[in-house]
Amino acid sequence: MTVRRSAVALLLTLGAAGCGGTRGPSPAPRSTRSSAIAQAQATHEYPSPPPPPQTATDTALTAAQAIRAFVTAYINWNAQTVSADMRSLATHSVGQARAAMTLAAAGTAGDYELQQGGIANSGTVEAVAPLAGHAGEYVVVTQESTTASNTTAYQGLKPAWHVALATVQRVPGGGWALSDWQPEN
Amino acid sequence: MRRSRTGGAVVLVGVIGAVVVAGFGGAVLALITSVFSPGGGGCGSGAADGGTSPAAGIVLGPPGTGEFVGATEYGGPGDPTSGVIGSSGANLLALPDSYAELGGETFETATAMGGLPYLTPLRITWGGHSAIAYKRDIGFGGSPIDGLPRVLDLWWELAGRLGIPYDDGLWSGPVQIERPPETGAGNVLDQSSEGAPALVEPPADEQDPGACAPAALEGAPAALEGAPITPGDRAQLLPSGLAAAPAGAPLAVREIIAAGNQIVGKPYTYGGGHGLPLSEIAPTYDCSSSVEHLLYGAGLLPVDYDAASGTLESFGAPGPGQWVTLYANADHVFMYVAGLRWDTHNAAGPHDGSAGIGWHPLIRSDAGFVARHPVGL
Repeated sequence: MTVRRSAVALLLTLGAAGCGGTRGPSPAPRSTRSSAIAQAQATHEYPSPPPPPQTATDTALTAAQAIRAFVTAYINWNAQTVSADMRSLATHSVGQARAAMTLAAAGTAGDYELQQGGIANSGTVEAVAPLAGHAGEYVVVTQESTTASNTTAYQGLKPAWHVALATVQRVPGGGWALSDWQPEN
Repeated sequence: MRRSRTGGAVVLVGVIGAVVVAGFGGAVLALITSVFSPGGGGCGSGAADGGTSPAAGIVLGPPGTGEFVGATEYGGPGDPTSGVIGSSGANLLALPDSYAELGGETFETATAMGGLPYLTPLRITWGGHSAIAYKRDIGFGGSPIDGLPRVLDLWWELAGRLGIPYDDGLWSGPVQIERPPETGAGNVLDQSSEGAPALVEPPADEQDPGACAPAALEGAPAALEGAPITPGDRAQLLPSGLAAAPAGAPLAVREIIAAGNQIVGKPYTYGGGHGLPLSEIAPTYDCSSSVEHLLYGAGLLPVDYDAASGTLESFGAPGPGQWVTLYANADHVFMYVAGLRWDTHNAAGPHDGSAGIGWHPLIRSDAGFVARHPVGL
């Protein structure tokens, strides 16, 4: 540091110290924690009570049953039913899975290519296995076939294996529902 | 691995090794004997499309679209040295809808179509109809076929099903190939994470600053955001049309890819993008201005560089590069970056993989072009 910089720094330090000395120790921000507005200014989020836990309809007795029921519906649909199927799945799930199904329902409702092509998907759940070291997470293996009644795009394609990760949780009422759904391929 | 036209001995050893390792030796020999014997499948009488052959299960469809490429056939009674076990370990006799991607003797080097994963389906069109085939093998390849790059080898039964005449494994000719749409609910509903960028960028000490040999030019941009990362050494074409940069690539390569992602899908107009600083995003591009935008992104061209494609015939150093290769002539320029081709719309034929200027998954002929590469890349 140059001499000139040192001098400026010293003055700033003294000035700061002087301020603190004349005003004494700063009082604790007594009202900050209790003021929602102050908290919002500090965190840019207006504090609100946590939302009530999500509920799901037709929950399953076991985690595996919840997954199998969800996945079976997820992979078996046609262009006419897919939007309603996804909307139904949304009501049977919570969290991210519900959001993803809601999004899929909205996206497929007006999907011209899906409707025009007569796209359909069908398949079976081949395996559901707990993911080691991750409570509530499961690896799901399906074998699926995608077809189209009005286009040859899928003609000749064999059924293919697919893997997805599913997370389940207990929901109010004691049943199990999917809380996270992530197809991997 | 299929028989090599140039290194048969090596590959034969590999085939024998694969058979032994797999413990299939006796069974495969028996299978070969039964299938290749006169009564075992009637190879000489066109068993590939016979009613009892597994090949009969290959569904024929109407002609597809896509890129014309050079293809060969392999296997069958006239080509016993190719064996019957693909490099993936699959028994090709039981899975006749198979093809091999050409270009090298290992999975990493046989990348004539960009290094497709095993079991990647392709719709292959020949003679007025098409069939889906799956990658289960690799092979060396060779010189162009009818001016088209030699990129795939068709298992003889697949070729026969398409109507290609059997020529003891020596047939070659152009076929049309395209990637069929992704299947499965997760893909159709656009919820699959496949192809999504890795969540974690490689730490700085895994990057290779030494490979970024070209000195950054004054005024060139710093490292660009916008290039998701994929593991390995090859760029990946994402469903969105953007490219994921390989984690193992030098920083300059990733910057080129990021710059490309900035302008993917921009309309092509002749002369588009010229007359503007390369730091600006133009409303349209042509081949040379888009390539120059990418090179500028890695600091390989000054911001005011503005040249036609022919000028790029003298860019950098001659020949292909390890990561980046430009192919330029007076009429056109395109570029490979970590295995993906940057090109203009349908430059290699209808539906060649991009809806505009952007990344293309399949290679194209480089006949008539001068190969150049950035020094150090």
